[in-house]
Amino acid sequence: MTVGNSTPTSAAFLSTLKRDLLIAYRRKNDVVNPFMFFFIVVSLFPIAISPDADKLGEIAAGVLWIAALLAGMLSMDSLFRADYEDGSLEQLLLSPHPLYFMVLAKNISHWLVSGLPVVLVSPVLAYMLNLPAESYMTLFLTLLLGTPVLSLLGSIGVALTVGLGSRGLILAVITLPMNVPVLITGTLAVQQTLNGATLAFYLAILGAMLLASIALAPLASAAALRISVN
Amino acid sequence: MWLWFSKLGSPKWFYELSGRWLPWLVAAMFAFLFVGVVWALLFVPQDYQQGLTNRIFYVHVPVASISLAFFPLMAIAGTITLVWKMKLADIVVKTAAPLGAWFTAFALASGSIWGIDTWGTWWIWDGRLTSLLFQFFLLIGVVSLRSALEDSDAAAKACALLSIVGCINVVVIKYSVDWWNTLHQPGTDFVLSSNKANGPDIWVPLVLMIGAVYLFFAVSMIMSTRNEILERERRSQWVEELVDNL
Amino acid sequence: MLNAIQFSSFSEFLNMGGYAFNVWSVYGLFTIFLGANLLVPMFKKKQILKDLKRRRVVNKNARPEINE
Repeated sequence: MTVGNSTPTSAAFLSTLKRDLLIAYRRKNDVVNPFMFFFIVVSLFPIAISPDADKLGEIAAGVLWIAALLAGMLSMDSLFRADYEDGSLEQLLLSPHPLYFMVLAKNISHWLVSGLPVVLVSPVLAYMLNLPAESYMTLFLTLLLGTPVLSLLGSIGVALTVGLGSRGLILAVITLPMNVPVLITGTLAVQQTLNGATLAFYLAILGAMLLASIALAPLASAAALRISVN
Repeated sequence: MWLWFSKLGSPKWFYELSGRWLPWLVAAMFAFLFVGVVWALLFVPQDYQQGLTNRIFYVHVPVASISLAFFPLMAIAGTITLVWKMKLADIVVKTAAPLGAWFTAFALASGSIWGIDTWGTWWIWDGRLTSLLFQFFLLIGVVSLRSALEDSDAAAKACALLSIVGCINVVVIKYSVDWWNTLHQPGTDFVLSSNKANGPDIWVPLVLMIGAVYLFFAVSMIMSTRNEILERERRSQWVEELVDNL
Repeated sequence: MLNAIQFSSFSEFLNMGGYAFNVWSVYGLFTIFLGANLLVPMFKKKQILKDLKRRRVVNKNARPEINE
């Protein structure tokens, strides 16, 4: 847009990241709510299924993965919403920097705020659900690599529906099925390493998914934002 | 070539051409359907493993195989919508999504009814069933995105993009579900393999039924595409003339 | 290539070797599936044309100088 704009893209990337983190810090609900949601959903499973330690241990990995997935998805709603409403999203679209990096910065800050706390607390909840102790590391590492993929994929759905008034359910219908491959890899890693498979194999697959979604998902989200905001 | 391409994108041209083809396609569809169904139900010998449930094979397989074509079709039409903004391509994305959901739902339903006796259960989390189920969810996602976005231009682009993303996703889901499945349970491929080595009295009716279902797909797509064209072009002169001549 | 008819009576045909429920429910669903996706667009077309015709007539009567 502006001729002679001298801000390099890297600086714009960092300032978007910083700005989003600062906003999240000021509005502590955005940080606390996904985390509490994760905690509560996980706590409901022993009540609904059984407090029996063996049964819980069997489903623990799946429960934690699904709870992390839902917590991430629910918090996605705020990814572009506030910016869309106050008009700063339009500013972002008009900026001379590639939208790809701006979307990526927003994704990273969203993950740092809502994904990382969930990953960090997962060993504690894994203990409460009686996951076998040798799986803690597997679960932690797969969540660490997998939850950013969930955020990146989810942001495509969020970008497509950002202009809609009520979109809670449509967002779920669009994005939840996309997460199947990540969910499969994450839960299989926990089950199969218990049977003697090597963890590195699953981490490599999740790593590949992460790299592919870093490369492609922000492109799709950026295109979706341009469609939605017009 | 370019003239042909731009002509193809013109709704009026398509409406007139498809109007001439439609009766022939409908006639061919009913002919294939009649011969195929009668042959499959009455004349095909029973399978040594499945007995007469092999009749289900003749409707399940054509529908299931065509249901896999919907996302690629929508992704191609979606790309054309985004790149060349061709009106007709968006209409294809719009009409294909619900029809694809129908195809997928029927493939799932007929597959599970078939499974009652061949697998001994209505539903198993088999690779093919599971990935088809998620394809159904993704198609419903495209349909509901379309109905949620009222603005037609934004809806067209958004659904085009979602179709492309969904197409990639269906492929990844397919492979990951197969992989997941092989680690959880032994493969369930015996159903198809028992039909492979058979003679023409088994596969000729299958080919007829595949032809019939393809024709049905074409007829249904063309009919809803024509309806959509009439609605979108209602203010254009040719539609007004068409209405006047009724 | 063409075998003889596999059934000796109509009731045997209906029975489908004990799989009557499976076979006939699938063919029933198939009929619904085909019927719905052929009849719904057909009726919709009639509806659209009727609607357009009605609007056209209303428009013509309201502003005859524009159309004729």
